[in-house]
Amino acid sequence: MDEHSTHVSAEPAAGPAASQPSAENASPGQGPPTTQGRVIIRTVGLKKSYLMKDVVTEALRGVDVHILTGEFIAVMGPSGSGKSTFFNMIGALDSPTTGRVFIDEVDVAQLTAEELAYLRCHKIGYIFQSYNLIKYMTALENVTTPMAFGGVRPDEARERGMDLLDIVGLKDRWHHRPIEMSGGQQQRVAIARSLANRPSVLLCDEPTGNLDLRTGQEILDILKRLNEKQNVTIICATHDHRMMNMCDRLMWIRDGQIERLARRDEVHIEVGSIGGQTE
Amino acid sequence: MKQITLAEQPWLGVGRTVKVTADGIRYRLFRASVTVAVIAVAVAFLMNILSESLIKRSIATNTRERIARMRLVYSWSAKLTNPGSPESILHDLAGSPEGSSLYREIQTHGKLSDSDIGTFHRGAVQAITYLEFFNDLDYAKRRAMIHTARGIQVFHRLRDEKGMKQFRTALSQIKSVRFITPFEDLEQFLAGVPALEDHAARVLQGRRQAIAQISRALGSRQVLEALVDAEGAFGATVRQAGFVFDETDVAPIVADQAQRLLDVIRLEKTMDSEKCRQLIAQQANVMPADVNVVMMWGYLDGARFATRYLSRMQDSGIDTSGLNVERVTELASARDETAALLDAERLTMDAGSGFMGLGDRLAWLLFVSLLVCGIGICNAMLMTVTERFTEIATLKCLGALDGFIMLMFVLESSILGVVGGVIGAILGALIGLGRMLVAFGVNFVRAIPVGDMLLGMLASVIMGMLLAAVAAVLPSYKAARLAPMEAMRIE
Repeated sequence: MDEHSTHVSAEPAAGPAASQPSAENASPGQGPPTTQGRVIIRTVGLKKSYLMKDVVTEALRGVDVHILTGEFIAVMGPSGSGKSTFFNMIGALDSPTTGRVFIDEVDVAQLTAEELAYLRCHKIGYIFQSYNLIKYMTALENVTTPMAFGGVRPDEARERGMDLLDIVGLKDRWHHRPIEMSGGQQQRVAIARSLANRPSVLLCDEPTGNLDLRTGQEILDILKRLNEKQNVTIICATHDHRMMNMCDRLMWIRDGQIERLARRDEVHIEVGSIGGQTE
Repeated sequence: MKQITLAEQPWLGVGRTVKVTADGIRYRLFRASVTVAVIAVAVAFLMNILSESLIKRSIATNTRERIARMRLVYSWSAKLTNPGSPESILHDLAGSPEGSSLYREIQTHGKLSDSDIGTFHRGAVQAITYLEFFNDLDYAKRRAMIHTARGIQVFHRLRDEKGMKQFRTALSQIKSVRFITPFEDLEQFLAGVPALEDHAARVLQGRRQAIAQISRALGSRQVLEALVDAEGAFGATVRQAGFVFDETDVAPIVADQAQRLLDVIRLEKTMDSEKCRQLIAQQANVMPADVNVVMMWGYLDGARFATRYLSRMQDSGIDTSGLNVERVTELASARDETAALLDAERLTMDAGSGFMGLGDRLAWLLFVSLLVCGIGICNAMLMTVTERFTEIATLKCLGALDGFIMLMFVLESSILGVVGGVIGAILGALIGLGRMLVAFGVNFVRAIPVGDMLLGMLASVIMGMLLAAVAAVLPSYKAARLAPMEAMRIE
C-alpha cells in the first residue's frame, strides 16, 4: 500500500497554522496527479466552527487543498465529517471562520455581495442531492434563470437552454414542471441548469443520493462526459462507489480534516472497503 | 494578492422579475388568496367609511340647497311684509358681497350713492364682527363689559365715555378674553357709527315705503296668494318697489312654492269638514274625532283614495278648482320628501368634521384597522418567506442579487395588494352605497358624488398596495440577507 505518499499534503496531525503552505510552493506540495495545469480552487488553513447554544462545534479544522482545472474529484467521508461545510466554503456559499478560499486566485472573503452573486452565477455550478429546482418554473425556465441573472438576452438564453436540455436528454420535456418529472429527470434538469453560464467548476453534493442505481448511473455518465469533453472541473461529494471508478482523485474527510488525498490508480478498490479503509 | 477581476452582477429585467413573481403567486394560489382576503377586508373598511362620508357630505350640500329653495317663499313673504330692524339690515348687507342682489336692493331702498353704499358695506361688516364678538361671550362677561345693551345699543354705549371706560376696565380684568381688533380701530369705527345708523335708517325708510307700495297692490289678498302671481303682474310690482326679485331664477320657484303652500292649506282645511273626516275615519278604522292631518296625508298618497277624497270634498261643497288626483298625490309625496329632507339635514349635521371629514372616532378606527391589516400582511409574508427558504437559497446560488430577492417579495405583496385593493374598494363602495340609500332613501340618488367616489376607490387601491408593499419590506429584507447555506440548513 502506498497511499501515504506525497499526494497527501494535509496532515491531520499538523496544526493548522503550521500546515499552511505558501501560495508559491503550494502546487508541488499537493502533488498534482493529472496533466492539467492551472489551480482553480485553493484553500488555506480553512476552519469553520458553529456556535450552538454554548457549545462550539468545529466542523472544519484546517483544510488545505489545491484543485486544478479539468479535474474530477470525489470527496468522501461519513456524515458529520465536515464534507458539506467544506463544500459550502469552496462554493462561496458560506464564509470560513478563519482561513481563506481562493477561486480562480480570487479571495472570496474580499468580494462584495454583487461580486459574490456574479461568482456564483458565472464561475460555479451547483448540483444538490434534493435537486432544488424552482417548483413553479418549467424545465427550460429553470435552466434559463441563471442566464437571465447573468444578463443573457431571452432568445439567446432560450436557445442555449434547449441545447443544454438536449445534452442531458430532456429536450422534448422542456415545458414540464419539476413535479411532472421523475427524480432522475429532475437531477438532469439541475445539471443542465448548473451548466447554464458555462461554469469552470461544478460542485455536486451527493448528486446520486436520492436516485436508484440505474438513474444514478445515467447521471454519473453525464458528469463524466462533461468532464472529459468539456473539461469542466467537477468536485463531487458522494457515497457512491461507482463514482470512484471515474474520478481522477479521491479525497477522504474525517473530523473536519483531510484524512487522505490520492489518485484513483493509487487506490485499491474493493467492495465494502477502499484501500483498506471502511467508509 | 491578485487583482479582483469580477464584474458586478447586472439587474434582472423588470418583465422577467414580474413573471417570476407572478408564477410564484400562481403556484401558491391558496395562500395568496388568503392574503388578498386580508387586504380586501381592510380596504373595504377604508372604502366603506370613505364612501359613506363622501355621500353624506354631498347629501348635506344637496339637502341644504333644496331646503333653501323650499324656504324661498317664506323668506320672500316675510320680506314683503316686514321692513326688519337696523341690525337685520346690517346683517343682510355684511353677508352680501358687493354687486349681489341684496347689496343692490339695499342701495336702491336707501337711495345711496355708490360711494355711500361702499362705506355702509364696510361699516356693516365691521359692526357685525364686533357684534359677533359680544354675542359669543357668556352672559357674565358680556354684562361686565357692556351691561345689557344689545344690537346697535352696544355701539351707543361704547360711544359714551363712561360705557367705554367700563368696557376697557372689564376687558383688562377678564384675562381669558382678548379683543379682536386694536382699540384705535374700534374708536375709528365708533366715530363712524352715526353715519352708519343714518344709512340704516334711510334703508329702513325706503323699505317701509316699498312695503306700503306692495300692500296697496295686494289689496285684500294675502301676500302668499299674491306670490302665486310672482311671474306676472305682482312680480313686476315687487320689482317696481325696488326689490331685486329675479324673474328667471327666483320668481318661478316662489310662485310654484306659493301655489303649493296654498293647496296644502286648502287640503288641510278639509279637516274641518265632518264628511271628509268620516271618509278618513272609515279608512283608518278610527273615530272621526281622532282623525288628524298626518293620517290624511298618509292616505292621499294613493291615487284611488285621492279620487274618492276629492269627490267627497266636492260633495261637502269645498272648492276643488285646480286640484286633481295627480296634484294631490304629488303634494302628499312632496310632504314625505320634505320630511326626508329634514331627516337628512339632521343626519348630516356632523358631516365634514375631523380628519378627511370622517370624524375623530372613525379616523381612529380606520387607523387601527389599517394597522391590523399591515401586521396581517407582514405575518403572511413572513410565512411565505420561511416556507421558501430553499427557493431563496437556490436562487442565490444561481446568482440572484439581494435586491432581486427583496424586489421579488415586495412585488409579490404589491400585486396581492392591488388585487385585494380592487376587490375591497368595490366591496366597500357597494356596502357604503347600500347603507346610505337605506338611511336617506332613494330621493338622494342624484346627490351621490360618482366622481369623488371613483377617486376614493382609486385612493383606496393605492393605499392597499402601499400598505402591502410596506408590510413586505421587513420579511423580504430578512429573506434577502440570508446566506444561501444558512437558508438550506434551516430547511
